Amino acid sequence: MSRLTRRWKLLLPLSVVAVAASAFVSTSGATSQAREVRVAIMTDCKGAFGFGYEPDIGGAQAAFAQWAGGKPKDAKKPSAGMTGIKVAGTSVKIVGYGCGDDTVPTAIKETRRLMEQLKADVMVGPLSGDEAVAVANYAKAHPTKTFIIGTAGSQDPTLQIAPKNMFRYFGDGAQWNAGIGEIAYKKLKWRNAAIIMDDYSFGWTSAAGIIADFCAIGGKITKRVFPPLNTTDYASYVQQLPAPSSVDGYFWVVGGTGTGASLTAFEQAYGALKPSQHIGNLFFAFLGADKVVAPKVVSSYVGGFGTGPGLKTKQAKAYEAIMAKHYPGLNGGNYADGFVSNYYHGAWALVQGLQKSKGQVGAALQAALPRSIKSAYQVSNGGVMKLDGNRQAIQDQYPLQIVKNADGSIGTSVVGFVPNVDQSFGGLFKKTSPAPGRAQPPCVKKSLPWQGKIKVVKNGTITGEVIK
Amino acid sequence: MGIGALVLVALGPLVFNDYWVDAILTQALIVGIAAASMIFLAAYGGMISLAQTALMGIAGFALGNMVTQRTPGGETKGLTLGWDPTLALVLAIAGTTLIGILFGAVASRSLGIYFLMITLTYSVIAFYFMGQVTVVSGFSGISGINRYTPSFVGDMVNDRYRLYYIALGVAIVVYVLIRYVVKTPFGLALQGIRDEPVRMSSLGFAVPLHRTLAFGFAAFLASLSGVLLVWWQGQIAPGDIGLQSTIDLLIVAVIGGLGRVEGAWVGAIAFIVINNYIRDSWLTDFLDDVKVGGSFNTIIGLVFLAIVIVSPDGLLGLWDRLWGLVRRGGGPAAPAVSPSPAGQQG
Repeated sequence: MSRLTRRWKLLLPLSVVAVAASAFVSTSGATSQAREVRVAIMTDCKGAFGFGYEPDIGGAQAAFAQWAGGKPKDAKKPSAGMTGIKVAGTSVKIVGYGCGDDTVPTAIKETRRLMEQLKADVMVGPLSGDEAVAVANYAKAHPTKTFIIGTAGSQDPTLQIAPKNMFRYFGDGAQWNAGIGEIAYKKLKWRNAAIIMDDYSFGWTSAAGIIADFCAIGGKITKRVFPPLNTTDYASYVQQLPAPSSVDGYFWVVGGTGTGASLTAFEQAYGALKPSQHIGNLFFAFLGADKVVAPKVVSSYVGGFGTGPGLKTKQAKAYEAIMAKHYPGLNGGNYADGFVSNYYHGAWALVQGLQKSKGQVGAALQAALPRSIKSAYQVSNGGVMKLDGNRQAIQDQYPLQIVKNADGSIGTSVVGFVPNVDQSFGGLFKKTSPAPGRAQPPCVKKSLPWQGKIKVVKNGTITGEVIK
Repeated sequence: MGIGALVLVALGPLVFNDYWVDAILTQALIVGIAAASMIFLAAYGGMISLAQTALMGIAGFALGNMVTQRTPGGETKGLTLGWDPTLALVLAIAGTTLIGILFGAVASRSLGIYFLMITLTYSVIAFYFMGQVTVVSGFSGISGINRYTPSFVGDMVNDRYRLYYIALGVAIVVYVLIRYVVKTPFGLALQGIRDEPVRMSSLGFAVPLHRTLAFGFAAFLASLSGVLLVWWQGQIAPGDIGLQSTIDLLIVAVIGGLGRVEGAWVGAIAFIVINNYIRDSWLTDFLDDVKVGGSFNTIIGLVFLAIVIVSPDGLLGLWDRLWGLVRRGGGPAAPAVSPSPAGQQG
């Protein structure tokens, strides 16, 4: 083959690639039009939390529908999109939905796609803990973009990493569990307990809240077991737990499909579950576990999700009415699920920020985003939830109990009200302290701001009585 | 042949928008380097290795652990040793190469499916090691790695064109190096071992040693890819070296053409473009509508099947045939002249 022929042989395909690429660039890149705010919603559509896709998008878009004139294209399928969003005279366009799978590489690829290819100015998301850690690091390198965490509960993004362009309008996974340790200590008389936790950022953070709360009042954690995320056979991990006769109880921080599987492994090893010996984090009662797991542990106490299901306050009712109006039946009508509620509050805060910044994004929006909002389930401070200096919510929390309803169905009931839970747990968690991990935090007795002040909640009403 | 390719990629920032340069082309160059290491082993050593993503990851994790620092607002995972980035870079590459030689020594006496399974084992071990040993990573991975780069490399966080050109330079070096190595006595002996291991052994060649050294060389190439990957992503997590990533790299190599080194980058760009744009395409909507599920995996799986059936030597082989048809005015195409990938040697 002559040199000329060989050269053409290469140049021709390269030209084809270049033309095709140019076509992609011209057709799929953002076209420059009149100024509009470009918003992306990042969640998971695959992996353990893939079922959160529609509830998350619906939660965020309900806020746009209620406060910014958005019109859902399909009230039964939020991901069908939304049109007509306008804030302070500026159009807001939802440029895309991120499809994560609970892993860091996918979260980063999807974030890049949304923020760079689709040129989003703001992202509401992501969904899960490791993803939020990755996105926080991405945010740090992209200060002109704004990130409002969807419902991820890892601590690091707003404490140890804490980029200035990242906001979280709900508590982290540790905050959600405030009060549950004190309930175990006082109501169930636990003194020694074991904990089994998913071996990743959210599992560690969620467990950190339980450990901090339980140890602060005098409990001891005698064993910590950490199965990898997406484990299917928990037999070997359950065997690492002390036998039921040697501890007062077990804290479960195992999520997704692992919750049911791990409890089944425990039953196989030690017999039927005794509800008074088991406390779970939100995975016992939310995220689909209400159908599979909760029936096995009726009357067990459960950590919250930063929401108060069934709470009879004006703000809670108003929020639930908004959800029912725009996306009736979303998430089976369970609007108090943090998957829906946390995305809603993030998007609502965004609307407020854009109103104040008059549609400007970047630093102007970051300065304008509210440092306090009237969150649906906030009761303290006249119903106003404040952000701390790291733009992290200081939020009321609601420990729950799994109950059997009158009609025989299984549900949850709010049993406690823990006011103004801050991310630091009264100074236990610091920017300079190691992020939650297998051995973090250590089990230490200390005074927490809400210790001895957890109010009893009965039938959705906060009473003046404290938990004893 | 090289001039046309060089001109096009060198002008990348002028031709393409920032997203294309940073997210598509830079990624393709990096993935292409890892795929080239796989193709080198397959085409010239007759060894299809599934350990290349693991080796890439080992370099990335090693660098991440060595350079990151635990400071307020700094990194929260890994050893955070805070070592000098230049020293860490050298150690990461050298360490990965040594591990590659060790891996190669263990696998060097195996062939075919057994070699494949051993290298798959390496990949799985690396994934679980990084995931479970939280001292060095954990499933969350290590972040902020690209904030700590050698001074001669420069700012990888803000100057993304710099990273693009570095990746391009490394890709060129890798290509030239492979082409050079396969023409050396070592490379020729390796090809002899690929085709007739028993005869080469009878002639006095140390077959396992050649295979081991080839594996070490491929590990060196994969380590370059790993270093570039963490500079590009800024972070690395076990998911980057999981089974899915391992299969993805194999698909890249097969789509491009397992028999030709340049196929690595052709396969990488095809894979990444499909991955990136298929989500928003009419094809995904159509597949969703007919309840097939329009995910990337479905579509790339179909492409993979089509390539394997229609053109086992990948897109480059397909191009050879099409070009042959054009040149002969529709006559039968001459078979593509290329080294034999593993399993195809006669």
